[in-house]
Amino acid sequence: MTTSRPVKTLPQRAGLGLKPEHYKTILSDRPDVGFFEVHAENYMGAGGPPHRYLEEIAALYPLSLHGVGLSIGAARGLDKAHLARLRQLIDRYRPQSFSEHLAWSTHETGFLNDLLPVPYTEETLARVVAHVDETQQTLGRPLLLENPSTYVLFADSTIDEVDFMATIAQRTGCGLLLDVNNVMVSAVNHRLDPFAYIDRFPVELVGEIHLAGYDETTDAAGDRLLIDAHGTSVRNDVIELYRYTLARSGPLPTLIEWDNDVPDFATLNAEAARADAMLSAAALQHAKGRAA
Amino acid sequence: MIRSTLALTLAGSLATAFASVAFAAPLPAEKMVGNEKCYGIALKGKNDCAAGAGTTCAGTSTMDYQGNAWKAVPAGTCTSMNVNGHMGMLTPKKG
Amino acid sequence: MITGFAESQDAFAAALLHADQPLPPGITTARGMADAARFAVYRNNVFVGLTGALAQRFVVTEQLVGTDFFAGMARAYAQDHKPRSPLIIDYGDDFPDFVAAFPPAGGLPYLPDLARIEVAWTQAYHAADAVPLDLAALAEVSPEILPDLRLVAHPSVRLIRSDFPVGSIWNAHQQDEVMPVSDWYGQAVLVLRPHMDVDVCILPPQDAVFAAFLLNGASLGEAAQAAFAAAPEFDFGAALLGLVNLGAFCAFHPDKGSNP
Repeated sequence: MTTSRPVKTLPQRAGLGLKPEHYKTILSDRPDVGFFEVHAENYMGAGGPPHRYLEEIAALYPLSLHGVGLSIGAARGLDKAHLARLRQLIDRYRPQSFSEHLAWSTHETGFLNDLLPVPYTEETLARVVAHVDETQQTLGRPLLLENPSTYVLFADSTIDEVDFMATIAQRTGCGLLLDVNNVMVSAVNHRLDPFAYIDRFPVELVGEIHLAGYDETTDAAGDRLLIDAHGTSVRNDVIELYRYTLARSGPLPTLIEWDNDVPDFATLNAEAARADAMLSAAALQHAKGRAA
Repeated sequence: MIRSTLALTLAGSLATAFASVAFAAPLPAEKMVGNEKCYGIALKGKNDCAAGAGTTCAGTSTMDYQGNAWKAVPAGTCTSMNVNGHMGMLTPKKG
Repeated sequence: MITGFAESQDAFAAALLHADQPLPPGITTARGMADAARFAVYRNNVFVGLTGALAQRFVVTEQLVGTDFFAGMARAYAQDHKPRSPLIIDYGDDFPDFVAAFPPAGGLPYLPDLARIEVAWTQAYHAADAVPLDLAALAEVSPEILPDLRLVAHPSVRLIRSDFPVGSIWNAHQQDEVMPVSDWYGQAVLVLRPHMDVDVCILPPQDAVFAAFLLNGASLGEAAQAAFAAAPEFDFGAALLGLVNLGAFCAFHPDKGSNP
């Protein structure tokens, strides 16, 4: 125990997605934000203002690196060049967390710029496990794998999503990123109970939570169809599901994702403050629960 | 031009330029008119909001542009770009 | 019948990219049947994401043609040009070439070069950092090696040589009220980021050949002779100092030949 260094982890606070339009405000105002998260792919340019601002901000706040383009759910092999770029970025910034999605986005036709769904079968499970293994070996650190929001189901899926993710974590040693908004989106879209999903989710493996706002429409049959749009504040039902999650898990680092129609920093920060208040309450509850 | 002559010509020209180095900085566009000594016309862009596009891990409910409703005629500021009316005139090609 | 994971993703991708194709086999809903509106969310995400990325990068191009025309043009590009990597910051590098060959934009012959300024802008923004060459270093070069000197272009530098006043047109769109560009002549536009801010500069017309030669690795002597041949009024000293002063170079070396 004497030789181990303290493991850098994200604080059990609310964090915000870092947007270029807020660089200067953050550096001048030094807001009390638990951490910042960036999309890895936006910092894969050779140089320029993005790196200079990120270096300054990462010196002041814990950093979460969130990949959106690795395509871990691709049927074919991972992009080695992209893995190398990720490795370089991780070596440079030494983020407290690195996460990616249970989804695919790269195909022979090119990068498809969306997080596409994966059927849950023994075959796809083996493929995803191999990709998570390869990623963790190349990066030299564990990753957090995020549950997707989905709009379709696959007829040949044989494994439940929670079991699928839990098995990946068990076989690869990866952690999980629980996107509570994605849970709500997928549950409504597929007529499932989001609270039951949380009940069964291995919260002890969760290293980070994501919250975001969804949009709502209907499908061809008139059924509710939620879209993971990240363009508004977090919806009330997702806040309730988050409260329910925290009661089970205790406080966890929680990111507010707001990627489309990005508001001014004060509006974002108010979202973080709401999550921070819920995290404090959860910490108290949890302490009481332990004492009892 | 033989090489030694070229070297002398270039060196002389460079020395002259160094002598007037105070004028070498680019001027903003509005100060350019009538000033022959400045170098080029420096244009001021909007640097603050121009990181270009970023990635997203979000979906969207904004609907994709429907190609069949598209009118193939440019209708932005190009319609007023040149008052002289020659090279830039909007004359959509047929077919 | 799904034969395997890879084949099922191929079918999904094909249906995703072509709205006229049937839904991919194997997708369903809680009701037990596929739903076109649900699959359309993915199609929509792909194309709105890609065309939105183009609109963010080609701001002036969009202003010039209007949002509707731009949306149609961007959609046509995105249909056949997917990003080659997950780096969306690079998406649209060849959009100007597409615009040049896009018949509905044929009435705006300056549009491709204007779009090239916007490509260069983003490339300069994300280019590697380098300290620009100091004028003082240039002053110490002895006259006899001057013709053989080769300058190393700053990693951010891009030169757009156009038959149209694309620098002035770009500049007109940096103001809230866009004024017409009446002085209609070809321009050489240098885009670069010597420090934190991207600079856009219209070069003196007689310097365009010189700048182009130097950025392609020619020696000072080669570049100057080409520039003199193209424009007798070319002023070597003013041009070199001007370019160095802008930050267009980051080093020089006296090599002969081969090494660009």
